[in-house]
Amino acid sequence: MSFLRSAVGLLARAKLLEGSPTVQTRRHIKRWVSPTLRELAHRQKKLGPQKPERRAGFVEWNQRSELFAFGKRLGESFELSELQRAFTEKSFAEREEDRRRQLGIEESDLHMPHNSDLVEKGQHIARAYVEAFLQHQLPKVPNEGLQAIASFLLSTETLAHVSSHLGTKDLIQSTEYPPSAESLAKSLHAVIGALASSSGIERAFIFVRDFICTQLNQKDLLDVWTPQEPIQLLEKICQERKLGEAEPRLLGDCGKNTVLAAYQVGIYANRQLLGKGFGEDVKTATETAALDALQSIFDTRDNRRPFDFAIQLEPKTVRLG
Amino acid sequence: MSNSHLFLKSGFPRAPLQNGLGRYVCQLQRITLKFCKNNGSSRGMRDFIENHLLDFAKENPGIVVYVKPRRHRTPVLVGEYLNGEREWMSCRNSTQEEISKWIDLLKTQNGSSSSLRLRKMWHTEVPSIQGPWTPFLLRSPDAQGQAYPSAEASKPLETPQTATEKLIELFRQQQLEAGEEAHDVLNKKRAE
Repeated sequence: MSFLRSAVGLLARAKLLEGSPTVQTRRHIKRWVSPTLRELAHRQKKLGPQKPERRAGFVEWNQRSELFAFGKRLGESFELSELQRAFTEKSFAEREEDRRRQLGIEESDLHMPHNSDLVEKGQHIARAYVEAFLQHQLPKVPNEGLQAIASFLLSTETLAHVSSHLGTKDLIQSTEYPPSAESLAKSLHAVIGALASSSGIERAFIFVRDFICTQLNQKDLLDVWTPQEPIQLLEKICQERKLGEAEPRLLGDCGKNTVLAAYQVGIYANRQLLGKGFGEDVKTATETAALDALQSIFDTRDNRRPFDFAIQLEPKTVRLG
Repeated sequence: MSNSHLFLKSGFPRAPLQNGLGRYVCQLQRITLKFCKNNGSSRGMRDFIENHLLDFAKENPGIVVYVKPRRHRTPVLVGEYLNGEREWMSCRNSTQEEISKWIDLLKTQNGSSSSLRLRKMWHTEVPSIQGPWTPFLLRSPDAQGQAYPSAEASKPLETPQTATEKLIELFRQQQLEAGEEAHDVLNKKRAE
């Protein structure tokens, strides 16, 4: 067949040579290209959507260089063995040990270190530092609010976001790929733990400040922590801080008994206006006014002084354990 | 925006992970240089590897550099960023200086900048600093002690001149022009 085709091609060319100079009508893309591509596409479609390839399985991958670069990129010096351990998950280590056992390797060489103790250590350090940082930066917010903000910062989603943007996704050795949010968060904890053991706890504190605490930047603190019962909380706070009895008063109303009714309520204590809010009925207006008053008492408004992410907290102020 | 940019990914200029706030992290995590050892199109890449690559690697310990020779293929730069993006760039027939510049560009961006249409040159998380509007916002102080219904407040803000008023005004003007005599005559007539 191919012989026939080439013969026909030759004939066509010979014809063209004889005649006047016209445009050559030869196929330049080979005849096999299209059916092959079609077949490949067909097979791919039959296989269905595939999971992404593990980056570590590529030819251009050097685990040691990657670990070295990970530390240098963040401006930290890690012990590479410790860092490698921080990225090895317990489930992965167990699976690997099983595999080695089946291959008949001696029990003494079987042990593969994993990161569970580093995770615990890092978790401890991160929580202690974040709490100390918030205590220092938001001195007027009660404990309940600080706890809520800290749990936002230390939530799996926030930590996974931070972790994936530091490039841990390809380095984590886990049984699944891409790693889940939990394993990303855990590996970040483990990295903090590894940093504390390789270059001291102070570096670990600065790491937490630079990468976890900075997530608070430009965040609306009312979104992070909204008191469920603002009026009761306001009364409690007023009693505690001796601001006087909190008393809501109607400042204005508009469009009563219509669908577009609006009420404005101000909260006074000791003849001082603490905050004001509005709403479609008096109850909602009082609640928003209480929230506003709480924001001004706690100094968590949008226009507060921005967080200072360059502070060096003294390690004494960070309560570990 | 031209037609060819309709399907381009769009976004705002953002620093990933509040970069630079705590410390700066270079967003390029690894770079792969692919080249051919004897093809002419890879000459610039080979020169770059020979003369500049070691210095580059020393200056940027945070970027993993892979060099991948392959036969009879175009030289290529592949950059991988911390946000998971991957940028592929052909360096066919480029000189070593051009390659240095392209690598510098990869080093300083946080994703393929040419494949992102910027919707605006700025971005803010807080578009309104005033909050929602209410009828009580920026209210005039006069409205404070007002008793409703009030005749003053019920009037329209601007009332145009009526035809009658206009006529009267025209008449007064005529009177002024005619002078005092005419005025007297008119008064007499009225008295009669």
